[in-house]
Amino acid sequence: MSNWYSDKENKNCVTVSTRIRLARNLSDLAFPSQMTNEAREELKLRMKSAIKQNNSPLIKSLKYIDMADVPENEINAMVERHVISPEFARTNTGKAIILSDDESISIMVGEEDHIRIQVILAGLCLEKAYKTAQELDSILNEKLSFAFDPKLGYLTECPTNLGTGLRASVMMHLPLLESTGQLKQIGDSVGKIGFTVRGIYGEGSKAKSSLYQISNQITLGLSEENAIKNLSQIVEQIIEKERKAEGYIEKIVLEDKILRAKGVLENCRLLTSEEMMNLLSLINLGIRLGIINSEYETIKLLIEAGPYMLMKKYGTSTPEERDIKRAEYVREQFEAYRKA
Amino acid sequence: MKCEKCGKYEATTHIHTLSNGVVSEKYLCSLCAEDEGLGVTHHNSIDLLFSSLLGDIKPKETKKCTFCGATFSQITEKGKVGCAKCYEAFRSELLPYIKRVHGSTEHVGNVPNSSIPEMDSVAQLREELNILIKEENYEQAAVVRDKIRQMEAESNE
Ligand SMILES: [Zn+2]
Ligand SMILES: [Zn+2]
Repeated sequence: MSNWYSDKENKNCVTVSTRIRLARNLSDLAFPSQMTNEAREELKLRMKSAIKQNNSPLIKSLKYIDMADVPENEINAMVERHVISPEFARTNTGKAIILSDDESISIMVGEEDHIRIQVILAGLCLEKAYKTAQELDSILNEKLSFAFDPKLGYLTECPTNLGTGLRASVMMHLPLLESTGQLKQIGDSVGKIGFTVRGIYGEGSKAKSSLYQISNQITLGLSEENAIKNLSQIVEQIIEKERKAEGYIEKIVLEDKILRAKGVLENCRLLTSEEMMNLLSLINLGIRLGIINSEYETIKLLIEAGPYMLMKKYGTSTPEERDIKRAEYVREQFEAYRKA
Repeated sequence: MKCEKCGKYEATTHIHTLSNGVVSEKYLCSLCAEDEGLGVTHHNSIDLLFSSLLGDIKPKETKKCTFCGATFSQITEKGKVGCAKCYEAFRSELLPYIKRVHGSTEHVGNVPNSSIPEMDSVAQLREELNILIKEENYEQAAVVRDKIRQMEAESNE
C-alpha cells in the first residue's frame, strides 16, 4: 500500500507537504473537554452512522477505526506518519479515526474539537487539499448539524480556531535560510499578517531537520479562500528567498558535506534518529542542488525510520536495537536509490 | 524541556542565531520567544496568550452555562470553551479576547447547511440503532431505542 508521502509525482524538495485541517463541532454536544464518556460514545456513533449513510465514492473509500482497538505502538506510529496529532494520541478512549487507504485523509473524532478533518498531500497542493477537505465537510454536514454562529462562524473549543476553523500549512525545507539567519526576519514579517513559521522535528532537541511549517494563525474575519491565497503567496516568496540563498553559499563546501552525508548513510551500522535527521536534511538539499539524484525519498525515510515505525516493522524494543535496524533500513533504501 | 528564560513553560521554540561566526542556541517557550521579538514561534503561542490573558481577570459572579455547566473562570483556567452555548452565555466576556486574538469578531467565509430536516435525525438514530445491534452493544442500543420512541411520541403530539 502506498502512502501519501510516497507520492513521487508531487515530490518537492523545498515544499515538502501540504496540510489542510478543518475544525467542526456538533451543535448539541458539549465540547470534548466537558464531555462525559456517554457523550463521547454518542459522538462516535453519530459519526459512524453519518459515514455509513453516505454513498459518495469519497466516503466509501474511508474506513472507520475506534482508537480503543488500536495498539499503543501503532498509535504512536500514526503520529509519526502525521495521520493523527500528538494531542489526539495522548489517550485513546472515546476517540475514533476515519482514514483513507493512503492516509491522506484522516478525520479525527474526539480531538480538541468533535471533528477534525485533515487532508495531507506531498508537495505544494493547497487548493487540491482544501477542495477535498471542503467536500468532506459538506458531506458530513448533510447528516450532522455543526455548531455555528453568524458572527463568530464555526464554534470551536479553543477560540483561536473560531470562524473558518481552517488551519492551512505547508511544510518547507529551508536549510539555507536557516543557516544564513534569515528565518527570524521572515517569521517576524509573516507574523504581522497573521501567519507563523514554526520549526518542526527536533524541537527542543539538537536535531536539525531544517523543516518548518508555515500556517495561518487567524481564522476569524479571513475567508478560507483568502487564507489559502495569502499562504500560497507567502510560500512562493519563501521559496524564492531559499533558492536565492543558493547563490550565497560556497558550492564546494556544501558539496563536500552532502556527499559525506551520503557516504555515512550508505555505510552506517548504527544510526540514531537525530543523526539521520541531520544527514537526510543534507541529502534533501543535495537533490535540490542536483548533487544527488532525484530517486532519493528523504521524507519517506524520515517517517518510516521513526522509532515507532521501526518498532512496528521489526518489533525492536530497545533504542540500541532500533539504531541497528534504522541503519540497515536506510542502507537498503540507499542501495536501491543508487541503482535506480 | 523547560524554557531557558522563564523556566515555566515547555520550550517550543529552538532558536539558533549566527553572529560573528558563532552559533548560539536557545530553547524558549512561545511566550518568551515572542517577548524577544522572535518571529519563529510555536503555533500554540496564541493559545497560551489567550489563557494568560483570560487568567488575569476575575469573574464578577458565578454565572453558569445552562447547557454544559461551565463557569467563566473554568473557561479561563483551561483556555477552552465548554460548549457552543458558552459562546452565547459568556459572549460579552469573550469578545474582547477574541478580538485580541483574531483582530476581528466578524466571520467571513463558509456557512454550514443549517436546514437539516428534523425527520432525518430519527432516521439517523435508526441507523445508529442498527449499528449498535450488529455490534451487540445492547446497553447503548437501549438508550438509542428509547430516544427514538421519545422523538416519535413528540412528533405525534
Ligand atoms: Zn518562557
Ligand atoms: Zn457551555
